[in-house]
Amino acid sequence: MPPFLQFVIRRFLVVPVSLFMISLVLYGGVMLTPPEARAELYMPERVNPNLSDEQLERLHEKIIARYHLRDPFPVQYFYWVQTLFDGSWGYSPSLNQNVLPALLQRTPITLELGLYSLLFLIPLGLANGVTAGWRRREGYDRMFRGLAFLGTSTPTFILALVFLSVFYINLGWFAPERLSLDFTLELSKGEFVKYTGMLTIDSLLNGRPDIFLDAWRHLAMPIFTLSLYHWATLGRVARATVLNERGKEYVIAARARGVAENSLIWRHVYRNVISPSLTSMALSAASIVTGVFVAEIIFDFNGVSFIIVNAMSGIPDAPAALGFAIYSIIMVLLLMFILDVLQALFDPRVREGVLRS
Amino acid sequence: MRRLRRFFSRWQNWIAVLLILGFVIVAVAAPYISPDDPKQPGPFKRVGRATEGSPLPPSEKAPLGMLPFGMDVLHPLVWGARGALQFGLIVTLCTAFFGVLYGAVAGMIGGRAGGLLMSVADSFLAFPVIAGVVFLHELYATTITALGGMYFTSPYFGQVIEIVGPMTAIQWLLDRVNPLMLSLIVLSWMPYARLVHSIVLLLTKTEFVQAARALGGSFFWMVRKHIIPNSISPALVLAARDVGGVVLLQATLTFINIGGDSIWGAMLAQGRGWVIGPGGNLLAYWWVFLPPTLAVMLFGIAWNMLGDGLADVLDPQMT
Repeated sequence: MPPFLQFVIRRFLVVPVSLFMISLVLYGGVMLTPPEARAELYMPERVNPNLSDEQLERLHEKIIARYHLRDPFPVQYFYWVQTLFDGSWGYSPSLNQNVLPALLQRTPITLELGLYSLLFLIPLGLANGVTAGWRRREGYDRMFRGLAFLGTSTPTFILALVFLSVFYINLGWFAPERLSLDFTLELSKGEFVKYTGMLTIDSLLNGRPDIFLDAWRHLAMPIFTLSLYHWATLGRVARATVLNERGKEYVIAARARGVAENSLIWRHVYRNVISPSLTSMALSAASIVTGVFVAEIIFDFNGVSFIIVNAMSGIPDAPAALGFAIYSIIMVLLLMFILDVLQALFDPRVREGVLRS
Repeated sequence: MRRLRRFFSRWQNWIAVLLILGFVIVAVAAPYISPDDPKQPGPFKRVGRATEGSPLPPSEKAPLGMLPFGMDVLHPLVWGARGALQFGLIVTLCTAFFGVLYGAVAGMIGGRAGGLLMSVADSFLAFPVIAGVVFLHELYATTITALGGMYFTSPYFGQVIEIVGPMTAIQWLLDRVNPLMLSLIVLSWMPYARLVHSIVLLLTKTEFVQAARALGGSFFWMVRKHIIPNSISPALVLAARDVGGVVLLQATLTFINIGGDSIWGAMLAQGRGWVIGPGGNLLAYWWVFLPPTLAVMLFGIAWNMLGDGLADVLDPQMT
């Protein structure tokens, strides 16, 4: 087996292990509540809202007995994990729906936003950071540092408000929400086939460039607000790495050999920058996922975050919150996995280092 | 001393220190700058008519103008400084303390056990803060209702909470600590642990630590005397940036109504409908959003600058 494939498989095996550890912590949090509250997690669908207190208590007792909610932690945890595999993840009263289908149904929306942001910010952050580091203390570097500084100290929602006023209300270029009203109505009529659920892809498959453009018009602002912070942090790491690299001997040697400046940066130094930069990204994967949800909420995207907005603004809904937590943890773990694989793709030291250990 | 002189030789650091001093002074002197009204405790104070739906410009009664429904702008702005500083410092101190200790211990133990400790820390990295906040908040709400109490949020009364009988562990916890603070502390100590861990791995190979071990230095003595002092400066840089970062996050989550309680964020949420004036003019109702926006941004900028300045002094190669 090629070492790269071996690395990918080994790295992927880490995902369930991390998930297991985190789920222990999660259920530890659930254990702080009394058994009656835990019973709410397993409530059947469509409970009659007019149940008397006594009937409700009897229902709770039944659930407690069935899922062993008065037993010690390992037993309870075991029964809880079993229920994760039955495909419902509990019934959410605020959504009036099972949690897992609700999450999956909205996944393409969130995925579209998240993926395009990453595709936008990773190459740009790396390129800008490397150039800034190479031209330390020149105009380009100063501008980059200034922008990165603003990016890390401006809260997303303020940026979003400024964008809305400039690009939506004044210029009319971009718009909030996912799609214009006309197209939303058209989509609901049913002639538009939903292959992936991602509008930018589906519209092309359906041969509708107008919807494609409109989807991008609505994606632009959330992508930009979401990316700015992480672009800045990624760029800073890249810049710091370049500063570290450019005094090294291989750079001097390459220069002595007469390697052109451009190919020195983008062929020699750049390769050494990718690895630490992607590591730092993988470490902040959780904050990227948080950022995706925040951007969704601010721009009314009604993606996965809709579930928590709903849960937070009405009746208590523990199944939705717990389901959302597991779901977002899985998202983060997958993102970390992808970033690590990318890193191994560019940096042979990473894949061989893991295999040796 | 040389480091101190170097620190104050750059104007950016002066700005950072002065801004932070300014926030501290405002926070300490809040009762004098904008006295609390005994009839309306809490950060928000009504100075105008409650029926006035649109925000009124600055006047004698409200030197910085009013939010919709006659709420003063100056009062929450001033008390917000206190809230932000408290929140930022408490969260950062707790996370930094725990993280540094955890990383140092994991590094000193070393071997398999140390590796296991670090992989526990790594799996915490996969937990997004937003999920933690919602999770804790909903557990709290469910516990209250399941025990026969009442919990709901409504646009008229805000959060309605009624607790019956003795409190459970989670009720007690969340009644005293807010869920955002708790989840930030639980979910953001890992960078410190990783940082210190990597430094310790380098340090344990150095001669002076080897010598200390050979002299029979005990485990905690070495951690206290050698490991912590040597890893404190990078942790300090991280912590300075974190103070601003957590306050920005708090304001953001408050603004989108996901369980934060930042006063500045709440001001912006209250004036949300008036941020963009007629014709897309951002300045039509400037007093509604400019003061809290500037406060939040300056707070973030100040701590970020301080972090940059510290990084420059403590590790001059990297800037």
